[in-house]
Amino acid sequence: MSLPEIPVIETRRLILRGPEAEDYPDFKATFSSYRSRFMGGPLNAYEAWMLYAAEIGHWQIRGYGMWMIHHRDTGATLGMAGGWKPAKWPEAEIAWIIWPDKAGQGFALEATNAVRQYFYGTLGWDGAVSYLDPKNLDSIRLAERLGATRDKTAASVDGNDVVYRHPAPAALEGTQLAHGIDMEISHYADPLFQPKGYALD
Amino acid sequence: MTRLCVDIPVVETDRLVLREPRESDLEAHVAFMTGDRSRFVGGPVDRSQAVRGFMSMVGHWVFRGYGLWVMALKTDDTPIGRIGFIYPDGWDEPEIGWHVYDGHEGQGYAFEAAKAALPVGSAKFGLDGVISYVAPGNARSIALAERLGATVERERELLGATCRVYRHPKQAEAS
Repeated sequence: MSLPEIPVIETRRLILRGPEAEDYPDFKATFSSYRSRFMGGPLNAYEAWMLYAAEIGHWQIRGYGMWMIHHRDTGATLGMAGGWKPAKWPEAEIAWIIWPDKAGQGFALEATNAVRQYFYGTLGWDGAVSYLDPKNLDSIRLAERLGATRDKTAASVDGNDVVYRHPAPAALEGTQLAHGIDMEISHYADPLFQPKGYALD
Repeated sequence: MTRLCVDIPVVETDRLVLREPRESDLEAHVAFMTGDRSRFVGGPVDRSQAVRGFMSMVGHWVFRGYGLWVMALKTDDTPIGRIGFIYPDGWDEPEIGWHVYDGHEGQGYAFEAAKAALPVGSAKFGLDGVISYVAPGNARSIALAERLGATVERERELLGATCRVYRHPKQAEAS
């Protein structure tokens, strides 16, 4: 039985690869912590391991899934981002999680923007949603930075989540939104960059 | 590109085929895990947990090189349960586990599958003389473990419940 090849996605600061067995301790550390409270956690060792195994199973069943985000320079894992659609999920979801001690550096934005480009450009998706816990303000903020907006009419997973709908592919081709996302990512990557002067109006 | 590869051997018995999980097996698995008969194997769980557990099957083969097969009827490929070797985080060592879906119990399928699976574990996966975690109230599985020649080694806590640790004889000793 062969499994789909998991493409490697590279961005300026990140390399996204399929989840490997050696990355499991990092995954377990986050999913057994309070950080995972919006993603069904905290999980015990058994639950964490089964979920990690399910990450691989998802790739096999759907042909896409969640990538492990690695720092390009150090190789360290930073979190995960990708697509998630278990059976009976209303729509394909773009999902992400960043390890708690790696947050605040724009990694989720950079990784999620890259996987969305892959789903739209390579797999031909015509849209996607993210199912978010309404208390998960960091992720709601990230969804908004990615141009997603609350869709109150869309079906949620179980009524306890809110649906954010990502902009369609056309809304991300050469648009102000796309440029804004690229600029925000580049500012994280190059914090020395300073705009010259001030806008007067 | 990352290449994930998993070789899931197909095992045939008189009436069964032990094969890789397929998406078409999902609903039978969900029905079992959300129903009362899953009470000795970590259930009942809600649908999303059952789906996650099913997807974990494939990942288990990738990470460990062994895992759970779907037991399917040779006649029409109906999935009637699962059997195989599992070793998730939190387990002391690999175990052989099994469950038979509703309507197919009592016909000796699990015994037939276990008799075929145990030698494969020994020959292909290096798993010989493995354990089975069995809940004390699970009379059917206790009877099967004993019919397979397994004996109680000790008890332990597993996922919040007490269970018996059965030890299977090594293949060289098994008749």
